Amino acid sequence: MKSKKLAIPWMMMLAIYTLPGCVWQNEEELFPEAGICDTTSVTFSNDIVPILANNCYGCHSNLNAPSFGGGLSFEDHEDVAGYSDRIIGAINHNEGFLPMPQGGSKLDPCSINLIEVWAGSGAPDN
Amino acid sequence: MKPKSIAFLLSLIVVVMVQQAEVAGQDLQQMLEDQMETSTGYVTATFKATRILNGHSIERMPEGQLDFRISHRFGRINGGAYEFFGLDQANIHLSLEYGVMDWLMVGLGRGTFEKTVDGFVKISPLRQSAGKNSFPVSISWMSGAYINGLRWSDPELEYHFKHRMEYAHQLMIARKFGPRFSLQLTPSYLHRNLVETAADPNDLFAIGAGSRLKITSRISLNAEYFYVFTPDPSTLSQPIYDPLSFGVDIETGGHVFQLIFTNSVGMRENGFLGQTTGQWLEGDIHFGFNISRVFQLKKQ
Repeated sequence: MKSKKLAIPWMMMLAIYTLPGCVWQNEEELFPEAGICDTTSVTFSNDIVPILANNCYGCHSNLNAPSFGGGLSFEDHEDVAGYSDRIIGAINHNEGFLPMPQGGSKLDPCSINLIEVWAGSGAPDN
Repeated sequence: MKPKSIAFLLSLIVVVMVQQAEVAGQDLQQMLEDQMETSTGYVTATFKATRILNGHSIERMPEGQLDFRISHRFGRINGGAYEFFGLDQANIHLSLEYGVMDWLMVGLGRGTFEKTVDGFVKISPLRQSAGKNSFPVSISWMSGAYINGLRWSDPELEYHFKHRMEYAHQLMIARKFGPRFSLQLTPSYLHRNLVETAADPNDLFAIGAGSRLKITSRISLNAEYFYVFTPDPSTLSQPIYDPLSFGVDIETGGHVFQLIFTNSVGMRENGFLGQTTGQWLEGDIHFGFNISRVFQLKKQ
């Protein structure tokens, strides 16, 4: 009976220590190709929307914005373009801006760079 | 019988009773001392809950009890009135924690912070005690694993499940100094399988200190600090600061409320040891609370 009772914690302990294993890696060396951030032809539909969908639509979609996104939805181009300064301040965790994504670490440097380049070129709807 | 004789008799009775009482008192004292020498009294309630504030305490769930914990950390207070001083943003962590044996508990949880799923095992091999087998401190050990549930920033890159994993191990050494004050030291180790840049350490070491000051039978003041041994913060992809928290424990029969002010939004070891980005002096303070509801699953 006692051994049955201890089976679950021992299995959890075993899983914690062994299953996925320990590695010592960093993205910079693991994916050197990702370090090359192509900002030559940034488009809203191909570059910016995927970043927003992956990181922002959990709160800033048309459905969720009223409850969780402070009323800000970034599904439409004009909304993103209109708030681009606030978005750039938030994703860079600049002083005076609410750090975003909320409850997560900062976006990767390439994603931030793409949004800045797109906004800097006039935030076109392309 | 003459009155003098009655007085003498009464005096004699009183003297004999006093002597008997003294002898009985000495016997009782002797019995207590004998009992102390032959039995061991374990110290209880070093802390009120299984967490001091963010971090684990040496306490664990007794056998057969299930603890349903709901934790919140709101946004930063310096967000101002527009953000309702942080209350417009909420991070939540839910967990179920069960006492398998009196010295062993396990827990599973899910949090908003990096959509983390976590599990831990905590054992308490030694307890502070007095008497025959006296021991000056209570000692617990916690091993936890954390799975980052966020989508990969670039799905085209070849990430593996192992890249989502982080592990923490903590040794907890605590002593209750009298009925009102308890202190705990928590050497900690956090391993992250994948970090952002070569300058970010995969392994982080920290030493934590937590205390509890009991004010009334139901209210206590808690404080907790972890010194994280990091390289120069300016070289990291994101600076890490030491988590510092203050709070109040309020017990209301079956519930323990912990009201917290902290500079960390992460509620598990991977979050508050590895990703505390707020600074107290800058006003990056998060209000939050832990609610603990205990269910007795097994008859005592």
